[in-house]
Amino acid sequence: MNKFMEMLENVLLPIADKLNNNRYLTALRNGFMVALPLIIFGSIFVVIANLPFLDKLIGEDAYATYQSTLGPASAATLSIMGLFVIIGIGYKLVEYYKGESIYGGVVAIASFLILTPQTIDYVTSGGATEAVGGVIPTSVLGAQGMFLGIFTAFISAELYRYFTEKNLTIKMPAGVPDAVARSFSALIPITLTLSIFLVVRILFSYTSFETVQNFIYTLIQAPLTELGSGLPATIIAVLLIQLFWFFGLHGQIIVNSVFDPIWYALNDENLAAFQAGTELPNVVTKQFIDTFIVGIGGSGMTLAVIIGIFLIGKSRQLKELGKLGAPAGIFNVNEPIIFGLPIIMNPLVLIPWLVAPVVVAIVTYFAMSTGMVPRPAGVIVPWTTPALLSGFIATGGKIAGAVMQLVNIGIVFLIWWPFLKIMDKQYYENENRDSESKAS
Amino acid sequence: MKRILLACSAGMSTSLLVSKMKEAAEARGIETEIWAVAQDKAPSEMEKADVLLIGPQMRFMKKKFAVTAEEVGIPLDVIDPVSYGRVDGEAVLNKALELIGE
Repeated sequence: MNKFMEMLENVLLPIADKLNNNRYLTALRNGFMVALPLIIFGSIFVVIANLPFLDKLIGEDAYATYQSTLGPASAATLSIMGLFVIIGIGYKLVEYYKGESIYGGVVAIASFLILTPQTIDYVTSGGATEAVGGVIPTSVLGAQGMFLGIFTAFISAELYRYFTEKNLTIKMPAGVPDAVARSFSALIPITLTLSIFLVVRILFSYTSFETVQNFIYTLIQAPLTELGSGLPATIIAVLLIQLFWFFGLHGQIIVNSVFDPIWYALNDENLAAFQAGTELPNVVTKQFIDTFIVGIGGSGMTLAVIIGIFLIGKSRQLKELGKLGAPAGIFNVNEPIIFGLPIIMNPLVLIPWLVAPVVVAIVTYFAMSTGMVPRPAGVIVPWTTPALLSGFIATGGKIAGAVMQLVNIGIVFLIWWPFLKIMDKQYYENENRDSESKAS
Repeated sequence: MKRILLACSAGMSTSLLVSKMKEAAEARGIETEIWAVAQDKAPSEMEKADVLLIGPQMRFMKKKFAVTAEEVGIPLDVIDPVSYGRVDGEAVLNKALELIGE
């Protein structure tokens, strides 16, 4: 067993190292981090704007006014989240190269907008379609433009760096203020980078896709999100997170850097439907993972383990750990439990650790796809939000969301129970033996 | 004054340890400044620190941090998982002091 575990760790550690230190994945993760406060702000206002029963309470008309008054809060943040992610990625990638990072951000956003359609088809009251120019459709600035945005940010930041490093810059004579010199030094690299994107846009206008947006969406984003929204890919992602953590490696940081673009895109599709009042298209989203699989005490849903310790724990060691881990566990920080129980490298708990989240994922998936429990509404709940509250918010203010989490806690508890019992017994006997040997 | 920097994914779980380490240092009358940051902030914070300790779940970051640590000229290491799980401030403080070399 030990040999096997050593072998696995030797495989996993380099993977974690590669994934986490890959400059593109790091920029991607940090780019999402830039967008997160804005996304959370927008999410909170979506929930406030859609409070249950409020329409019955204040009347339909007042409710419509109320909703449109709060509308800009999410329209300016959630609906155009792709833009923030793009700025974040461009900024962070150029920062990695120790370049003028703010230009990385703006060159990424400009490149993306160059590739973006700037007309919309407006249907007149007569039923005719009219192309209206001078607009940027917000539909492509959110989830739909996410993948193109990510690729554009990577490529534009790389091009900007390349042209800067080639020293294709205008040198200012000494005495010119530093800020002035800097804006000129970025001129040529930015001009070249944006020109390339303009050429790409023009080339694509001659293809059947018409825009790069359509091309990426049809060929890459749609198939990937389709795959990511299914149960098999979800189970694999959950298993990988658990497996990394079993070896004491931060599974989410590692796995999410690959899955986040897919999960966020699925999330945004649900949000658009939620705001439009239509049926939510996806079960698996960012919140499906964060709120219903992970956010119940942290990875592996260890809140149920803490409850188990309080209910059946007899050994001093476990009881102490429960006390230590509970306050942080409520806010989904569970390193004390993972390293303290310990869960890492502990063959005894490998089975519940791997099995429980998978069972929970399957149960939640079916509860939501059959409509017993509402699907995640696409609002983003901060990951430190305690369980039950997070389930309520994530489903757009539905009690059933909290009940689902409660059921999940029950499932994890039942799966862990026999293993926790064995562990507690071992610890208890060791403690008694120790005190006996001290006494004699 | 010993300046000890801790880093993990979001700076959350290491911040648990920070308060325990401060308690331990105070009890022994050692003047310290101990703080925890998220991994992407660690390189820029290293300049202000005498030593960097990394949460064991982020040990794959060690190689990357080591480059900056060498530039800044401070030692770094991964926190021992057992001390981390027990939130053992005393043990981690000892480790930090040992790395600083006093």
